[in-house]
Amino acid sequence: MGRPSTFTQYKTLLAKDIRQEFRTREMLTSMGIYALLVIIVYGAALALTANGIDVMKMGGGLLWVLIVFTSLLGLGRSFAHEKEQGCMEGILLVPLDRSVVFLAKATANILFMLAVEVIAVPLFYFFFMSGEPVAPTFLAIVAPLVVGTVGMAGIGTMLSTITMNTRSRDVMLAVLFIPLIYPLLYACVTATTAAIAGTEFWMDFFVMPLVLACGYDVVMLLVCWVLYDFVVGA
Amino acid sequence: MAQRKVNVPEAGQWPDKLAVPALAAGAALTTAGFLMAFLFAAPVNGAALDAPELVGGVMVSHQQLLSQKIFYFHMPVAIVSFIALAFGAYYGVRFLTTREQRFDTCSRVAMEIALLFVVFTMITGDLWTRFEWGVWWTWEPRLTTYLILMLIVIAYFVMRNAVDDPERRATYASVISVIALVDVPICFMITRLIPSSVHPVITREGGMAPDMAATVVVIMLGMMLVGYGLYRLRFREARLAERVQALKEQMED
Amino acid sequence: MNPILTDIYSTVIPSAPFIIAAYAIVWVVLLVYVVMVVRGLKKTEAQMALLEEAIAKKSRD
Repeated sequence: MGRPSTFTQYKTLLAKDIRQEFRTREMLTSMGIYALLVIIVYGAALALTANGIDVMKMGGGLLWVLIVFTSLLGLGRSFAHEKEQGCMEGILLVPLDRSVVFLAKATANILFMLAVEVIAVPLFYFFFMSGEPVAPTFLAIVAPLVVGTVGMAGIGTMLSTITMNTRSRDVMLAVLFIPLIYPLLYACVTATTAAIAGTEFWMDFFVMPLVLACGYDVVMLLVCWVLYDFVVGA
Repeated sequence: MAQRKVNVPEAGQWPDKLAVPALAAGAALTTAGFLMAFLFAAPVNGAALDAPELVGGVMVSHQQLLSQKIFYFHMPVAIVSFIALAFGAYYGVRFLTTREQRFDTCSRVAMEIALLFVVFTMITGDLWTRFEWGVWWTWEPRLTTYLILMLIVIAYFVMRNAVDDPERRATYASVISVIALVDVPICFMITRLIPSSVHPVITREGGMAPDMAATVVVIMLGMMLVGYGLYRLRFREARLAERVQALKEQMED
Repeated sequence: MNPILTDIYSTVIPSAPFIIAAYAIVWVVLLVYVVMVVRGLKKTEAQMALLEEAIAKKSRD
């Protein structure tokens, strides 16, 4: 029996995370409830000041605030049980390429974040945007959402591996995570806002930021992928 | 890892002899540049006018206000901060490939110098912004990306403080210093990528006149020398502290 | 007077505090940093001297 292929290793690690999540539903429930709570806070914050049109204009930004803080919560948890149950040591004892660990974990994080977004975005629409006419380009927000989620999950996986071993790790994750995703966030908010507004020249504000966000994703994922070996071995 | 002889930087060798002269030369050059900025570089040279006019016996097609004098320090310190960050990342990579703690010390000191120059850039830039744009802060792309750069460098030091194990701290710090470098080209290119950015760009303003360029070059050289001198000085202190620590541990055994 | 010169001169007084502050703060921060580094160096050197003395004493005993 030869060594399992890299792809098999990847599938096994990914399946482990997903199976664990299905058993405990820990991440999805906590992230989902947190997203709902942020929406409720928005409700209070916007109750008196903003009417529907204003919220449509701010919608892209508000949506991304929701996503950033929810994923911060999820990413902070993503290595918690590995650490608590000594699972990470077990994985590292297996002679596999460390970057496979990174890819599997990042994929799991992407899936969890996308799952939460699938719930949170319709909720956001339901609470804040249903009163206004929707631009025909509204569905284009899927593209920045996916691009942003991939980058945030990649950077976040790397950083939560680092902060797993630091003191006050939740704060540390936020301190590192938010500056590092900022360029991505900026581009994605611009693209999302353009898609929600759907004005005549929306493509101008949609395509370029999206391309930049993709570029940032590629660079960051490559850097994280290369450096992960060092981080996880320390 | 193969036990290969790695040349590690050490304090107390010939570069240290250069540190104090470098600092002195840097001080002299920046002072000279400072004087040049006010006495040599023309006050009227920069943003285009509608039509060339005769001012003080010279035909000018550009005008610049006194606030532009801040530029002569602002740009050089920004460039030096990028260079320092590049060195921080370089030593970070050296640490990751050799596992030699010394490189981590180098990386840390370089990042500290980077933070110092980032703060200089922020101070000079912000005072210019306050006068020229009338606000203390605006979410302009160049300002924003540079603020992010500063936050990453600060996060680097916060993170260092939160890890106890030296080996682990050095690894994480090196990784962050490499990731921080990704923001440098973004910060540098952002005014080209987003043309609506209102941050002045030299090439867009028609390049620099020779007197401006000379002043900038003098201050740039001076700032680089200051940065280098400070780096060596700080590195010597860090090395000495490490040796004291090692001796203390030896005494206790 | 030339309108451009007037324009330039009119900004000198209001912008001067910001320019002076920009240069002064940079200079002061640099000075503070140098003083801090030199003091740190002196302190560490003193510690080193103490340690060396202690070691010399120990080896004599």
